[in-house]
Amino acid sequence: MAQSDSRVRRLVKAIALTLPLALLMAMMITGGRPAPTETRQLIGMMVAYVFTVGIFFLIVFTGRTHRYRSALFIGYAVSFVLTFIPGLIETRGSMAVTQSDMIQGQTPFCHMVIPTTLIPAAVSRTIIFPGSMLEGFASIGTMLVLWLGASVALGRGWCSWVCFYGGLDEGFSRIGRKPILKNISRKWTYLPFAILVAIVLLSAATLSPMYCAWLCPFKAVTEFEAVTSSIILVQTIIFVALFAGLVVVGPILTKRRTQCGLFCPMGAFQSFTNKANIFDIRVDPDKCVQCGRCETSCPTFSIDRETIKKGKTRMTCTKCGRCVDECPKGAVSFHIKGTPVGVRSQIARMAFVYPAFLVLAIMGSGMISVAVYRLLLLATTGSLVQ
Amino acid sequence: MMLVEGFLLGLASGGACLTYCAPVLVPYLLGEGRTVRAGVVPVAGFLGGRLAGYLVFAILAWLAHSAVSETMPHQKVIFAVVTIGLALLLIVYGFAGRERHCQVAAGVAANPSRRSFLLMPVSLGFLTGVNVCPPFLLAFSRAAQLSHLWQSLLFFAAFFVGTSAYVAPLPLAGLACRSEKIRVVGRLAAGVVGLFYLYSGVVTMIAAVH
Repeated sequence: MAQSDSRVRRLVKAIALTLPLALLMAMMITGGRPAPTETRQLIGMMVAYVFTVGIFFLIVFTGRTHRYRSALFIGYAVSFVLTFIPGLIETRGSMAVTQSDMIQGQTPFCHMVIPTTLIPAAVSRTIIFPGSMLEGFASIGTMLVLWLGASVALGRGWCSWVCFYGGLDEGFSRIGRKPILKNISRKWTYLPFAILVAIVLLSAATLSPMYCAWLCPFKAVTEFEAVTSSIILVQTIIFVALFAGLVVVGPILTKRRTQCGLFCPMGAFQSFTNKANIFDIRVDPDKCVQCGRCETSCPTFSIDRETIKKGKTRMTCTKCGRCVDECPKGAVSFHIKGTPVGVRSQIARMAFVYPAFLVLAIMGSGMISVAVYRLLLLATTGSLVQ
Repeated sequence: MMLVEGFLLGLASGGACLTYCAPVLVPYLLGEGRTVRAGVVPVAGFLGGRLAGYLVFAILAWLAHSAVSETMPHQKVIFAVVTIGLALLLIVYGFAGRERHCQVAAGVAANPSRRSFLLMPVSLGFLTGVNVCPPFLLAFSRAAQLSHLWQSLLFFAAFFVGTSAYVAPLPLAGLACRSEKIRVVGRLAAGVVGLFYLYSGVVTMIAAVH
């Protein structure tokens, strides 16, 4: 009887918390405009809406964060690829960006370039990226404002709730039951910071966005420079190899997000925002039984014996909630800095998850909506592009 | 007058010089993890090596003038070899024998002999010094107009002093690198920079050979 009452209470609470989000999402997904008359677009929109609101309901009702966030996060990343590539083909006729596009500042700006543009910009007052500051799709200004706002609210939670690439290696890390590669030396978890230092210095020296030009694995699934010389050919081979190694093979072998945890300089840069963010993940030493499940499951290598002893995670924690879900004793929890550890942790969890999910849902639902539409287009016309 | 000219040219273009030297020197300083005071020695070693590199160029500039129309023979090959040498040094420092380097650093802390400790920054400084950056080309072309070897040497020495003003604050990096984590990051960053220079050197070499 008591169990049944508790279930009803959880259900009521979940509906009460989901309702405002559902209303907000209805407004965001339609953009305040009437519903589309084109059936495939309408289906895409409805699928995206039901999926995102349903995911949030499950997060609140079950008390599990990572399991359901992950489903939306992976769907968001896959949808980004399905939206972005056909969009490029429709507007440009190809995934390749030409020298002319770059000279005209028509290269879409993505957050991965922020460290290599922000730091040299602070020193030289020059944005070293061939994109537009305010005009057009994915302008530098828009992305910087979005990044700044989300960083203040979420810290490195950006990497598990906002980044539209992170879901790709998270998706591949879900393939297979057990990791094949287990013992990864801790020194390699410092590599993203080393790459950050190297690319910032080299970008300033060469006045070019080094990460974008040489190391970004996601060029393989977004856009790349048209291959017109042997140097660009070498760059393209590097992108494809990095994508295959870090986003596909690495996550499958380790069941971790190897690109995010062992390579991404943007993630390393974002780690510093965790210091200023009010949310973190804490371990209650009184409840912890040292089973190590949080350590072995952390997708970004952000928790280990040493940090568990200190009752916290490393600064690279992306607040994905996996360790919280995995802990059999409820010793790991979301936490608001300055409050006692393990007390009212559900309030801390919802205080973080609500805005984080809202950002993910707003960004993700638009892309899922278009991706479903593209897939329906493929099913009915045989092509992803119009 | 020639000394003032060299010094002012170095001072005016030193910011650009720093951006070329920083990818080599900053990871090294982070990797060594010293105090500000102890950081002065490797920076001085780096500057000494760089001065030696500059003086080599002073001689070459004077020779280029003597030969009037001749540019340096095989200059691309030379720069490619230098860049590859620099890259290999950084890669070895960054990825191989990290413990050995730590022991060297630890040994130096206990042992006043600094020969092995200075070898790396002096080598990095020399290889950076004999590389080409835009301010350096300005100095080279001006030095090539001077008629005596000693004038060319003095001009490059003055240019070196002017550019060094920007490198002088770098021992402050020691403030950031007392933690072992930052030392690991610095060494790995040196390796990553080395990989880029290796690629750059190999491409230059292929272009030179063809």
